[in-house]
Amino acid sequence: MKPARFAYVAPDSIEGTLELLDRYGDEAKVLSGGQSLVPMMNFRLARPEVIVDIGRVGGLDGISLANGTLTVGARVIHARLEAPTATTTGGGSEPLGGVLGSLLPAVARFVGHLPIRVRGTFGGSIAHADPAAEWCILARTLDAEMVARRRGGERAIPAGEFFETVFTTALAPEELLVAVRLPVLGDDWRAGFCEFSRRAGDFAVVAAMTALRLDGATGAVAEARIGVGGVAGVPVRLPGAEATLVGEVPGAELRAEAAAVAAGEVDPVGDLHGSAAYRRDLVSAMVARALAQGAGTSGTSG
Amino acid sequence: MNWVGRSLRRFEDPTLLRGSGTFVGDLAGAAAVRFVRSPVANGLIRAVSGPAYTIADLDADGVGDIEAVLHRPDYVRLAQPLLARERVRYVGEPVAVVVGDTAPEAEDLAEQVDLDIEPLPAAVGLEAALAPEAPLVHPDRSESNVMVAGEMATPGLAEALEGAHAVVELEIVSGRQAALPLEARGSHAVTERFDGRTTLHASIQAPHMVRTVICDLLGMPEADLRVVAPDVGGAFGQKLPLAREDAVVVWLSRRLGRPVAWIEDRSENLMASWHSREQHYRLRAGFDSDAHLEALQADVVANVGAWPCYPITWGVEPLMALAELPGPYTPEHYGVRARGVASHTCPMAPYRGVSRPAITLALERLMDVAAARLGVDPVEIRRRNLQSDFPHISPTGLRHDEGTYREAMELAVDQVDLGAFRARQQAARAAGGPQPGIGICTFSERTGYGTPAFAARAMGVTPGYENVELSMDPSGYVTARIGASPHGQGLRTALSQIVADEVGTEPSRVRVVASDTDRTPYGWGSFASRAMVLAGGATYLAAQKLAAQLGVLAAEVLEAAAEDIVLAGGRATVAGTSVGVEIAELARIAHHHTQRLPEGAAPGLATQAGYDPAGTFSNACHVAEVDVDPDTGGVAVRRFVVVEDAGRLINPMIADGQIRGGVTQGIANALLEEIVYDDEGNILTTSLMDYLPPTVAEIPDIEILHLETLTDATVTGAKGLGEGGTIGAPAAILNAVNDALAHLGVELNEMPATPERVRAAVRAAAGPTPAGNAAARPSR
Repeated sequence: MKPARFAYVAPDSIEGTLELLDRYGDEAKVLSGGQSLVPMMNFRLARPEVIVDIGRVGGLDGISLANGTLTVGARVIHARLEAPTATTTGGGSEPLGGVLGSLLPAVARFVGHLPIRVRGTFGGSIAHADPAAEWCILARTLDAEMVARRRGGERAIPAGEFFETVFTTALAPEELLVAVRLPVLGDDWRAGFCEFSRRAGDFAVVAAMTALRLDGATGAVAEARIGVGGVAGVPVRLPGAEATLVGEVPGAELRAEAAAVAAGEVDPVGDLHGSAAYRRDLVSAMVARALAQGAGTSGTSG
Repeated sequence: MNWVGRSLRRFEDPTLLRGSGTFVGDLAGAAAVRFVRSPVANGLIRAVSGPAYTIADLDADGVGDIEAVLHRPDYVRLAQPLLARERVRYVGEPVAVVVGDTAPEAEDLAEQVDLDIEPLPAAVGLEAALAPEAPLVHPDRSESNVMVAGEMATPGLAEALEGAHAVVELEIVSGRQAALPLEARGSHAVTERFDGRTTLHASIQAPHMVRTVICDLLGMPEADLRVVAPDVGGAFGQKLPLAREDAVVVWLSRRLGRPVAWIEDRSENLMASWHSREQHYRLRAGFDSDAHLEALQADVVANVGAWPCYPITWGVEPLMALAELPGPYTPEHYGVRARGVASHTCPMAPYRGVSRPAITLALERLMDVAAARLGVDPVEIRRRNLQSDFPHISPTGLRHDEGTYREAMELAVDQVDLGAFRARQQAARAAGGPQPGIGICTFSERTGYGTPAFAARAMGVTPGYENVELSMDPSGYVTARIGASPHGQGLRTALSQIVADEVGTEPSRVRVVASDTDRTPYGWGSFASRAMVLAGGATYLAAQKLAAQLGVLAAEVLEAAAEDIVLAGGRATVAGTSVGVEIAELARIAHHHTQRLPEGAAPGLATQAGYDPAGTFSNACHVAEVDVDPDTGGVAVRRFVVVEDAGRLINPMIADGQIRGGVTQGIANALLEEIVYDDEGNILTTSLMDYLPPTVAEIPDIEILHLETLTDATVTGAKGLGEGGTIGAPAAILNAVNDALAHLGVELNEMPATPERVRAAVRAAAGPTPAGNAAARPSR
């Protein structure tokens, strides 16, 4: 339970960090909050030659709102998203309102325990890419963009391309995740999040996020997003269940139908914490509850 | 004023709560020891290479093998090497040992050790280990994996079952669990150059026993080994047996002439310390038309792992089930076969409650199933069957002293207001969503037994008695040196209350010295809910002797008769007068003015006493209320009520703490915790991401009520209660889960009742599942 030997560097700027990542390539690993990386090093499951600690790097911990996009800095700790405030184009800082302003705190409270939430970071969780991690599910469901910077360049990677498989992302070794861009959901959106875990604060066995845009005139679903975690190597969207909802006015029966379609749409691999069949059952229950939560009919969660 | 019976705050707590305790890991200045462990469950060792010591080095030094003995015809006797010799038998078995300057360096060295092992098929779960062609764990010693077996039946059992009004059959499964002390195991050994003595600090429960066995193994006089248990961060039985590693640490310190320490990490602890509880019960029970349990027949198999534990052996789980299965009930006819089955898995040791959580689960599920079958209320069937004539002699000859089995249940049921609960339950069934359930568990807890009970087990050594040495120093403070070895139970506080009452002083003027073989009389440590009864009894008897010495001295000083002297409030007074003397002054006289002692009295104030009772039975009733989510199988415990009768309570706050901790472990055993192996014998639960102890969020407030039946089976009137919480809680929870889902036709008789198992039971009750959609069960 002691890590293998490693070198430790703590740059104080993004530029300095990018130089180090460029120099060390895949020998280096970025340390942010350390809530996943440090245990993996102690188990010797991760054996980086060089740890690049970005704890002293400025400019990574802002939350800003502009042009319908919320940009969350990579080093924003989970706890800040329990009551998020964002700087606006006017330069002031305001509590985040709207659908996202409700959704982020609802999700944040499922992330680990308080000690984890005050150390662990949003970007760290995204870059670690645990398929059951709440922020990864959120990023995938809302089609977030991951902003990756390298020496002399920056690119935005859509969530659908970012998560490749368990603990594996499209980030190149010399790239640093600096921020995540989330679309601000308008008032015509209804979002819900529900997860089932064995104990309070555990990683989800299965978690589901739903977001529906409703036609103001008819009340029918104009656009549906359903993302689940815990059923594959990456968080997945469920287009079949989404299609079930589009064009219909959501009610209890339709939600149940979409949940059943969702369960049939996943192909989970069983493990210690749940067999494939059990995870499918949970997908159905979690999707149904997230949809109900979004509709404001029942806030039951795991 | 009596100190006994008061919730005195624990003397132990300020140090521990401020983080100032001294655990083995706090001892500095030692080289780091790391064990290289087998990655395969069964295999032949072809070669070990690298910077390590192996069994060859121990053999060359003449170090012996461990022999955990039961003198029974049906017991397979083995010699267990301190490191694997020729063969490995479970994943995690220590094969080699390295010594580094620091812990990370030792881990680096361990990685350089190459184990060349030829893997063989493994027998992992009970079914696999009992199969006719099963790979054998000890092929040189036995032709099957059954290592210990016992069987008995009262005459007339078969006829009674045949003639019964109803026969209820039930199969109960208890999953494999780990005691999971917060502090894992560890040891630290220093050998002094000037006298060649070694001091072992180890996180253990029985220092004197550990000294004896390590000295036997290493061929050294016990006078040359001092064993100290410093602060111990939880043990729960896991630190009772000898740890092979501790013996190796002593050997290394003597061989290398340098201080060495082994601090077990969490993965090692989960993989290779000790497990427990993997048991299957098959019950057949005959009831008469009034729902009286008349006949009970049981087949018990316990997976006992790859090696026995010293000194209690791998008979402890199956044979306890054999002896104690009838529990608080009174079947006239009883028959049982109990077998301990070896497997290529981590060895088993007692864990808080030992077999009784599973025994109680079996019996209490039986009562609920029989109640439903016979159309009787779960409370009523227990009312009709619980012991009420005392002493009650069980079919296996155990003497139950007076208890309050029925009274405890009635009080618990009143406390929860069963009628109101049933109304809420009906409403919830109509509404859907989470389903409330309530579960009752009544049980007895055999505690405080000494040599007679252990002698019946026919172990290679017979534990039992406790000795206490008591002295008063010239300042009037009392020191008690005890053979028991408290590790979190608050025994120092409780014993000081007993001494204070007898000697007429205050608990703050009593010091309890424990857990150091150089400073305490030989004793058996703390386990089996025994310390309050055994060490408490010996302390009580010694304190009476010390009080008598003070009385004689006071009589001399006050020119009164010894029988008229009253010791209280720090003074010795002549009864009915104000004539008296400070006890502290008597202490000065006894040491510094011995010319004033009565003729023939020895200088000083010192005495000792031993205590070795036959044992007693505590009893309790647990009631759990749960909410079960039929869609996810998730279970939330909403309320937990305990009515406990442990005889006289020396310190009620400490008793409540024991109950709360025990119930917490019991709830976790019932719902969360399970050690899982795959079919090849790889352990899958080697971190706290996978083995799930409860967090505070999973445990409700635990409401505790007490009854106090003062027993004549112990000198203090106290019975033990250290294990009861863990014994009763699983059955209460499982009964509650079944009650919640009864309207769906669910019957679930396996612990832990994980969400997946609960959900699978809901599905099974709903009808046949589509092919390939059945919930997988981890192998065992």
